[in-house]
Amino acid sequence: MNEWIQAILNVFTNPTFYKSTLTQSTPLILAAMGGVFSETTGVTNIALEGIMLMGAFGGVMGSYFTGNPWYGLALGTFFGLAMAALHAWASIKYGADQIISGTALILLAQGITGFALVELFGQPGSTDLVRSIPLVDLGSFKDVPFFGPIFGNLSPFVYMAFASVIFGWILIYKTKLGLRMRSVGNNPEAADTLGINVYNVRYFGVIMSGLFAALGGAYLSIGELGQFTTNMTNGRGFIALAAMIIGNWNPVGAMSASLLFGAATAFNNQLQSQSILNLSTNTQYIFGMIPYIITLIVVAGFIGKSRAPSADGIPYIKE
Amino acid sequence: MRKFLIAFLVSILALATVGLPLTVFFVTDTGGLGDKSFNDSAWAGVQMAVQKYGITANVIQSYEQADYVPNLTAAAQVADVVVAVGFMMQDAVAKVAPQFPNVKFITIDFSVDAPNVESFLFSENQGAYLAGYLAAAMSKTGKVGFVGGIPIPPVERYQYGYEAGIQTYNVLNGANVQVLSGYVGSFDDPAAGKAMTNSQFSEGADIVFAAAGLSGLGTIEAAKDAGPGHFAIGVDQDQDYLAPGYVLTSAMKRVDVAVFDGIKSVIDGTFKAGTVTLTLKDNGVGISPMTYTKQLVPASVMHQLDVLKQAVISGQIVVPATEKELQSFQVPPIQF
Repeated sequence: MNEWIQAILNVFTNPTFYKSTLTQSTPLILAAMGGVFSETTGVTNIALEGIMLMGAFGGVMGSYFTGNPWYGLALGTFFGLAMAALHAWASIKYGADQIISGTALILLAQGITGFALVELFGQPGSTDLVRSIPLVDLGSFKDVPFFGPIFGNLSPFVYMAFASVIFGWILIYKTKLGLRMRSVGNNPEAADTLGINVYNVRYFGVIMSGLFAALGGAYLSIGELGQFTTNMTNGRGFIALAAMIIGNWNPVGAMSASLLFGAATAFNNQLQSQSILNLSTNTQYIFGMIPYIITLIVVAGFIGKSRAPSADGIPYIKE
Repeated sequence: MRKFLIAFLVSILALATVGLPLTVFFVTDTGGLGDKSFNDSAWAGVQMAVQKYGITANVIQSYEQADYVPNLTAAAQVADVVVAVGFMMQDAVAKVAPQFPNVKFITIDFSVDAPNVESFLFSENQGAYLAGYLAAAMSKTGKVGFVGGIPIPPVERYQYGYEAGIQTYNVLNGANVQVLSGYVGSFDDPAAGKAMTNSQFSEGADIVFAAAGLSGLGTIEAAKDAGPGHFAIGVDQDQDYLAPGYVLTSAMKRVDVAVFDGIKSVIDGTFKAGTVTLTLKDNGVGISPMTYTKQLVPASVMHQLDVLKQAVISGQIVVPATEKELQSFQVPPIQF
């Protein structure tokens, strides 16, 4: 029992745990923010996973062909916007079932990236290594004990993620546009009678979700690795959706839930790396469940009933 | 109608192959081509056979586990030889192979007991053993790491062989190198592999061996990020070139050789149902030639690796393959 206390103490006093929490949460925060934007206006967006994948692929493709990872980021974002625009077009203009449209986009993204991988890089599976977005080097701050190793050398995406939360919160709760987004998501008929263009506001929400989810995907490929591999998002889009729901469709809530998922993953990694525990392989494998167990506890115990925007997922047809 | 059409197309394909050289279908596991690991290696083996014997070769990629049975069935309907790789395909082959008694199946990493299946297994533990010894000898911090994908037998053989190598180093050199190990739970998530490796680096490891398919690419990336003094150890294929100078060595298994041998046996009529295990002795497993890192390794360590290799080949050292065997493993007294 003592080893366990010692090991857990070790985990929490190791700066890498906190840094890993930040880097693991970053793609989730960005994608969850995408979800918040889309669903606040009343359009369910389960395509986040697919949009992330396209963002990740575009990032590597742009970086590969121009040698400049920032162009890669631009291309990845563009792919994400295009995917979101497709979703918006199908589900807003034609009132398509948003779950079906979202699923189709995920499959489309897997197909396109798989196909383009072979066409452009001549091999399936993974691309060549490309230049990735440089880390933000805080210089002498790196030598500050404890905090230096955490914040001294982070990817700009980490800052972007937190900036997007502030941006999202202010936009949704403190501006006129945000008020319109919320009213369109809760009661589109009423908003319409007040002269708000429901369609335009929804287009805005969905397309913004493409932007953020693509950033989250691009982080995985050109922020973290400098390489694209098949289906590298590995379900993070769905985890981000869960974070958004746990966070009650609120930017700050979604961020907190994403941080929780990130911390749980980092905890799992760090705990497995403790030599004093001397774990058997089976026990280690069970540790992989930690993030999900923590989620269940949090969802069941600490969070009240989460409430979606009333018109979330319901197409609006103007009379 | 649709059924009829498919039957028609299949029979055309079948007719087209009559009198032609052997048709080989390779069914990948979910890692797929481009894993820079054993699927690629198996395909390289098929290509070797294409060059040498002029056979016709095709590949069917599996994207999820549920694809295995349909893909194997589709392949078996038109092929003379079906190559199936990856432990996770065991049940699927056991189901499909008996339905096509005239088709020969060559399987990698698992064995199926059927009259038309020739299975190849590897003693991954023997290659990993040398990698483990090398890692322990090269570690400056006295800690080395292991990152696994999913604990299936081939991965576990890598793990316990590696740990036995470290133990051997400790016993023979009076050292106390520790091993940190973890599983990421997936073979295709490099970001997760990188995070796990960074955790191990932060706990003091400086050399990390990844037996985790595509996830292992994250380990190589982490070593490169961490800078000089940190190394990854590659797996299955020679992965040293992926980050020259940061991949200490690769624990290899010659899936290509196994696949080639399997196809060859069909062509020259020596095909025999059963299981063949490739070992260090027949160069089926081993470590990479260390193209970029050889100059970093002291000559004495190279010599010790050679001695150990001979000891494994001669049977003086029996490298553990499971957790149980590792626990009862006694390092024999070896004189360098």
